[in-house]
Amino acid sequence: MNQRTDTASNANAADIPVTGEELVETYPSYREEADVSLVDLPGRPAETVASETVLQPDLAGPLDHDLYSHQAAALEALADDENVCVATSTASGKTLVYALQIARNYLTAEREGEESTAYVCYPTKALSRDQERELNDLFDDLGLEIDVAVYDGDTERGEPRKRIRAEADVVISNFAGVNTYLHDHDRWARFFSACDLLVIDESHTYTGVHGMHVAWILRRLKRVLAYYGSDPQFVLTSATIGNPGVHSSALIDEPVTVVDEDGSPQGPRDLVLWNPPMRTGGVENGSDVEGGDGKDAISDDATAGASASGASDDDPPERLPATIEAPQVFSHLTYHDAQTLLFTPSRKLAELSIERAGEHRRRRSRYYTNPDRNTALEPYHAGHSRKKRHGTEHQLKNGLLEGVASTNALELGINVGAMDATVQMGYPGQRQSFWQQIGRAGRGERRALSVLVAEHRTLDQYVVSHPEFLLESDVEDAVVDVDNDAVFAQHVRCAADELAIDERDVGEFADRERLEGALEMWRRAGQVRGRLETGVSYTGPPRPQSSISLYATAGQEYEVRLAEGVDEEYDPEMEPLARERVFRDFHEGAVRLHAGQQYEVCAVDHDAPQPSVTVRPTNVDYYTQTRSEVTILDAESEKSREINDTGFDLHYGTGTVLVYHGTYDKVAVHGGKPKDQAIPTDNPPLQMETQLCWLEVPQDVEHHLVEEYREYSVPELESEADLEAIPHIGYVGGLHAAEHAMIGVAPLELTLDKRDLGGLSTLTIDSHLAMDRESTDETQSAAPNAGDDRAPRSIEAARATVRQLANSLEREPASGWFIYDGIEGGLGFSRAIYDEFEALAKRAREHVADCDCGRIDGCPACVMDEQCGNDNMPLHRGAAVDVFDRLLGEGESLEDADVERSERERRPPLFYS
Amino acid sequence: MSNGDGSSLLALPPAVAERSIPTLEDVRDYFDPDGVWVIGPNREPKAAARARQVFDPPVVHPPLGDAGPVQRHDLGEVSVVTVQNGAVLEDAAEVLAADGRRDGTPSVLVCDDVTTTVRPTALETSLEFAPALAALATEADRESLTVLTGALPATYDRTWHLEHSSGACLGVASSGPESTSDPTDAVAVRVHGLGSVDGYGPARSISSLAISRDESSTSPNGLTIDVETLDADEFGLEAVTGVGPKTAERLEKRSITTRSELLETPLAQLCDLPNVGSTGAERMHAHAEVLETGEPRRLTGEALPGESHRPPLCLDIETDDLSPTIIWQVGVYDPVDDSYRAFVERTDPADPGPVLEAFCDWLLGTHPDRALCTWNGWRFDYRHLGAFVNGHVPHYASEWESIPKFDLYKWVTDGNALLPGRTNRLEDVSNALGYEGRETGLDGAATAAAYQRFMRTGAELEWDRHEAYCEDDCRALWHVYERVREAPRASGSGSGSVSRAGTGDRDKTEGARTSSESESESEQVGLDSF
Repeated sequence: MNQRTDTASNANAADIPVTGEELVETYPSYREEADVSLVDLPGRPAETVASETVLQPDLAGPLDHDLYSHQAAALEALADDENVCVATSTASGKTLVYALQIARNYLTAEREGEESTAYVCYPTKALSRDQERELNDLFDDLGLEIDVAVYDGDTERGEPRKRIRAEADVVISNFAGVNTYLHDHDRWARFFSACDLLVIDESHTYTGVHGMHVAWILRRLKRVLAYYGSDPQFVLTSATIGNPGVHSSALIDEPVTVVDEDGSPQGPRDLVLWNPPMRTGGVENGSDVEGGDGKDAISDDATAGASASGASDDDPPERLPATIEAPQVFSHLTYHDAQTLLFTPSRKLAELSIERAGEHRRRRSRYYTNPDRNTALEPYHAGHSRKKRHGTEHQLKNGLLEGVASTNALELGINVGAMDATVQMGYPGQRQSFWQQIGRAGRGERRALSVLVAEHRTLDQYVVSHPEFLLESDVEDAVVDVDNDAVFAQHVRCAADELAIDERDVGEFADRERLEGALEMWRRAGQVRGRLETGVSYTGPPRPQSSISLYATAGQEYEVRLAEGVDEEYDPEMEPLARERVFRDFHEGAVRLHAGQQYEVCAVDHDAPQPSVTVRPTNVDYYTQTRSEVTILDAESEKSREINDTGFDLHYGTGTVLVYHGTYDKVAVHGGKPKDQAIPTDNPPLQMETQLCWLEVPQDVEHHLVEEYREYSVPELESEADLEAIPHIGYVGGLHAAEHAMIGVAPLELTLDKRDLGGLSTLTIDSHLAMDRESTDETQSAAPNAGDDRAPRSIEAARATVRQLANSLEREPASGWFIYDGIEGGLGFSRAIYDEFEALAKRAREHVADCDCGRIDGCPACVMDEQCGNDNMPLHRGAAVDVFDRLLGEGESLEDADVERSERERRPPLFYS
Repeated sequence: MSNGDGSSLLALPPAVAERSIPTLEDVRDYFDPDGVWVIGPNREPKAAARARQVFDPPVVHPPLGDAGPVQRHDLGEVSVVTVQNGAVLEDAAEVLAADGRRDGTPSVLVCDDVTTTVRPTALETSLEFAPALAALATEADRESLTVLTGALPATYDRTWHLEHSSGACLGVASSGPESTSDPTDAVAVRVHGLGSVDGYGPARSISSLAISRDESSTSPNGLTIDVETLDADEFGLEAVTGVGPKTAERLEKRSITTRSELLETPLAQLCDLPNVGSTGAERMHAHAEVLETGEPRRLTGEALPGESHRPPLCLDIETDDLSPTIIWQVGVYDPVDDSYRAFVERTDPADPGPVLEAFCDWLLGTHPDRALCTWNGWRFDYRHLGAFVNGHVPHYASEWESIPKFDLYKWVTDGNALLPGRTNRLEDVSNALGYEGRETGLDGAATAAAYQRFMRTGAELEWDRHEAYCEDDCRALWHVYERVREAPRASGSGSGSVSRAGTGDRDKTEGARTSSESESESEQVGLDSF
């Protein structure tokens, strides 16, 4: 257990090697005062309850400490046969709650000569192994011989598995495993028959599509448990979220008692909101830059878009990206003896950050005079092998490492001990994640330091200039939508495979109408047989469970292999890769940094029964950055409405999103300059059927705005696309900017991560819509790739298709933008945007209009987006504001534009994602 | 012709049609079809051309439309009207109408564009070209149509009731003898798949449809369709264990194209092939010989369970479906005194308890020390018996647990023996080993469907026939057991696993990462899980 009962209250600043103030004072670089805010978060003392008051003597005796008040409250509710959700801070001893309940059940069963088992699910396999050790240690301390075993994809097959099924008291797994093992539930008859407790640890992670699947897997599990006569109690543990009760009940379909009055002690915290300094104009005055030209020596792809237009003197100043600044702060803190955890948004950045932290010390060697001081820094992410990750966890816990740069893989409860400090590379997108991550720093009541280094992004800039957004408002809700029929239907097939679906399932698994609907669908598809009265069986291809994709990735994962003839010591021991990641980051020729070693991808086998990526170690001065482009085809409207009599039509529906990771660039590791550009990856598109919403701008508004902004031009675009000056560029830049802004502010209005959204602005909405059958047939037979696979193979072919469709229209197409759910099948985000469109548009308008970047094409804080597939070009803030004004009915009435002139000019079929 | 009576239509996936000529000849000799359809909807002229070199009866590839968009072929009892694509469906009206007027010959349509589309967001499955099919039926003055399509797997057989005027779906029923034709002013379109069945090996599956007239049948057109599906790599050299596509290609380059030629090839020559080795070569020879002679062969020194003691009791169960709610029949054949016992629930299908109670009473009371033997029991019989005993007669759970159980199928596929027969189905294997069963005309699915009807409507089964079916399986199992017991051991037999392709176990994931649950016994679809 990670329980600390030392409430020694010498909570003063001396407890940490570096305070927030000291960080600001000692950091070797000039900064504006306004760029840093220091917030002092107070701590709180522990509230405890004597364990004897809650626990029976044979448990309270061996337990050598008191219980925190929330642990006691949860155990009391469990004694009253309630389901419990414990929603308290990181390291507040949540594991102890269910561990003690398992112990109570075990002792009760033992007295009666029976068995009592518990099924404990963690979100990751790493956490499972970690908690297996924790639980074993605790049961040892309590003198109980409770057999705890992890049973997941890494568990050795054959006898070891058989033994666990036959003997274990506590089985630890994850929901992907539960999903799979339900197929063979008869093998688990003993374990299921005796199951008294189901534990869902880190339950807040089950949100969105992942949460929907988990909710249905739980319903399937409950069905099978009921078949074996079990009706277990639930314990859920959750990080602090806005709606622990609603969320828990939605997951398990039962009432839940929430325990969220945190009784664990918490030290005070220095929270530093750190906006990186400007990097142009004046060049870091007063700093002791060595060997640099004033610009940062290492650039990153995240800045490529922002600096695309070149840094001339006329350009407005631009901040250093967090991808550069955060590793430097991390480097600085570790140098000053603060054991620090740096959170990065990607695996690549976790690896790169270690390099950059070292580079920072070397470049500033006048300041960091002892080069060998505290250099034990390691990257950590799920791409590393289990052995490597466990080693890093162990070294961190034992103080052998000064710092670790990690993805959110360390956000969850793996016990690595408490840090002195955390640094966040950018705002993690949600307050819930933000608090969970900074909770990694702070031991008991000692002071802790947490630094949030802001990124260019809309949200980051908003957060650092509005700290109250973090401090005063509630954390987000976790959303689980069990009404989603697409997800439901998949689990109906599995349920029918596990046990025949019959009348007993009506009302329990789903209401009659919905159940009948799903069964009729599968019956017509030839996948189930039989009726509810006598039971419906699954008759489709074997193991429908394998078609459940819990991680929003499709298909089989790719094994990473070392090229033949390469010394085994170079084996990267990479975990398997999702198909999407292979297409984006592991195409042939890609250069990836992994655990400090560069690798080049020399082969990718997509078609083998076990797809694979072959890599060999390399040593080059560049890394690769894939260029991705997106388009939409075959959108079909299901609902539509006009916005406030403005002539703007809004649609909701479904369509196909095509993602082309078609080319890549080689980018210098140092200096960040592109070396070779647009090298083909030869990858076909990734195709996704999803939900979308789109806005069609009325013709008169379009004509007016095209006229108004016809002088605007983006030379790069024109030369690249081989186009003549296009009068529409300013206007389409406005659409593009408005689309980015809508996506950027969506998380402020709706519960979602904007990375789950995608967008596309286009002058020819109609070309992206599904055509009626006849015209589709025509274009298909005319298209170069007619045949089985309808998707155009390359983005060029996709453009040709769009052009062809535009040309075949009888009427003038409408312009506008799409926003879609970035997940196969869709999650309902587009639908929520469709419903809340006006409120979002209002926020987006303010956001774009109020930004003081003073640039026509905006800045990363307003309309530039690091996820942009088109290098943030073209963008036009003014035109975006005008579009929003018209759509909100707030613009001045339209003057008569030279409409005829616009109509004469055939619009180019441009689209930007 | 291997399956049933009537006209036999062989559906070849294009990938299969491009296999070697000797392999196609093997397919031809096995199925002996009246007509061959190289299925669409993709245009694969090369595949069709290759098939035409081998097969004498007409070879049709619908997407070619080489004899016009609508072609008609007489296939003995039925005529087959092939429609090039969905857009020209209505052009078939004239031919269909003419067939209708002509005395008697029923016709079936083949159109590979007809398929189902599942829309999970709307909980809806629709039939593509439903309006065209309804219009076609109206124009040809027919109340029912039978459409075969390569776009659906050969296991697909549903009757869509469509509104005459619009093609709107009024309901879908399973086809065949169970079909209940309800709406009257509707067109009944029976849609039957021709395509590969999911879960077979990567080589795809081949299906043969025996279409016959059955006046008593309530199904549309009064047609009975019997399907036989085999994994494509049960043919030619690849039928031999250890011979995959690459090795087959290499052998063919050395002019070794049939199994008998393989047998004549010296082992030394086979050893030299890449990835074969001496054990592999011996195994190839052994299996080729088994297939050619029909004589089983043991590969290991592993004793057949029960070989040295009293022989096991041969067990088979019947359920109401693949996810059973009841095990309504347990049959046990005792080879010691050649006796057979059946435990059958004939009165109360709502209570699974009594049959199990009676079975357990008898088994534990009279044969407390005997082992059980099944064919694929670990995936079916033992699996469900275990769960049901646990749930309904829990007082016998631990006794049931401790009874020695043996699965002959698993023992064979674990590499202990090679058996003749195109598939591992008990029926195929026992027939190949000379077992002469009683012709009950039933299979697992049919007997389950009959019991389901009994559960739903109380309509009694022909109990004797259904009990005879179960008994037959138990006796067939013993026949196979004996033949394996007497089989000679292959010379130089080592151990090692022989897995025949055709397992549907490719895509299992578990844990946060992908891996396959190889511990589970292979899940062979062709095995017919009942």
